[in-house]
Amino acid sequence: MARTGLAKSILGAATAALLLAQGTSFAQDKNDEGAEEAPQRLDLANFPGQVVEKVVVPIPAEVFAVLDKVDEPDWNDGIQHPDEDHPSKERAFLALRFGSLVAEGFIAVQAKSEDDIQKIGRKALVLSESLGLADAVRPHSQSIIESSSKGDWKKVRDELDGTQQTVRDTMSKLRDEELANLVSLGGWLRGTNVLTDFISVSFSEDKAELLHQPGLIAHFREVMTKLEDPSRSSKGMKSLVTGLARLEATLEESDKISRESVNELQSITKLMLEEFYFAKPEPKEKETSTE
Amino acid sequence: MVLRISAVATAVVLGLAGVRNVQAFLNEAISFALEAATPYVEEGFEVREDNWSGEVESGKPLLVKHQLFRGNEYWFWAACSYPDTEVKVDIFDLMGMPVSLETFSKDGKAGARVLPQSTDTYLIRVTVSRVKKKKGNSEEAAPEEGEQLDWGLTYGYR
Repeated sequence: MARTGLAKSILGAATAALLLAQGTSFAQDKNDEGAEEAPQRLDLANFPGQVVEKVVVPIPAEVFAVLDKVDEPDWNDGIQHPDEDHPSKERAFLALRFGSLVAEGFIAVQAKSEDDIQKIGRKALVLSESLGLADAVRPHSQSIIESSSKGDWKKVRDELDGTQQTVRDTMSKLRDEELANLVSLGGWLRGTNVLTDFISVSFSEDKAELLHQPGLIAHFREVMTKLEDPSRSSKGMKSLVTGLARLEATLEESDKISRESVNELQSITKLMLEEFYFAKPEPKEKETSTE
Repeated sequence: MVLRISAVATAVVLGLAGVRNVQAFLNEAISFALEAATPYVEEGFEVREDNWSGEVESGKPLLVKHQLFRGNEYWFWAACSYPDTEVKVDIFDLMGMPVSLETFSKDGKAGARVLPQSTDTYLIRVTVSRVKKKKGNSEEAAPEEGEQLDWGLTYGYR
């Protein structure tokens, strides 16, 4: 038994060495010029340089691309336009809604729904007017509408990414980093929410792993700690802070994300989006007895 | 002047490829990194609008944290707009293990490719170093200690 174990260990080590060698060979084959030697393990405890603070949040299209490789989701089922009459009109919530609307655009691109993309392009322009950024967004909005009518989905994706980036950059230039971060949070939340919708319908551990994004949740929690009043003390923002903490706790429950965890993440993200994007469900009327 | 011309040329090349509009070329190091990305765009990589950039002391490594998704393939491209510089990019997992499948470094530009084995945060190390400094036509001088160099890092996925 021990010998078998030893043999397996040797075989495993040999296989690993072979794979490593093949990997190195592959790298060298691909790069005749300027090829690099494999780096050593990074000593994180004694890293001699600096850690860059900036966090680049992946766009929903990145994770949607993976889902498309492992499943055939009907993206049309995922499209949910924002509630036009949502009561939250503060700039912070408008920034969140703008981010979510751009994420909606990415869903519509996956669905190749020209009609939905054009609606989203127009809504983005209207929303940008409320944020005082219409001049910056208008060229993107027009390009989104034109490109979708030509079926140029890659161009629409580029423009959606560009729209969000333009808005974030403009906000940053106006020293409104808080709003810029909220745009990213809105986009990430909507993207994550639709991902949980699809994964909960046809669960697999591989798909659920796409939700393993602890670094991003930690980043957004940090963002929320830097909010200033009046945003900070609003009921809606407090609800988002709680929501992020619940998302983090759900993901920390175990190494593998279970079906139950996906359902929980779906419920939490939906509740968070109801603060600024989805319509809030009508409160249930108390049942009154006639007897 | 040379840098300006090169940046404009890059804008034209990428503009023709339908990759970017001229607004994106405010940062020269980023424009050089996007130049390094151009051949990969033709292979189907979608390059992000957002990116990282700044200044760093020559030879001092930088570490960028970034979320990657298993199932996607990624290229990270970095560059410095100064002449006579060497740029390196390497990718590591959170345990510090190298995970780049291939890398290149040439003419102040570099890249690294990865197929993430798990969906998680990864670490991208960028190093920009002055390799030699021309004095006059041919004489070389040692790099100045503490010299600040610009850097830009972008990525694409497919």
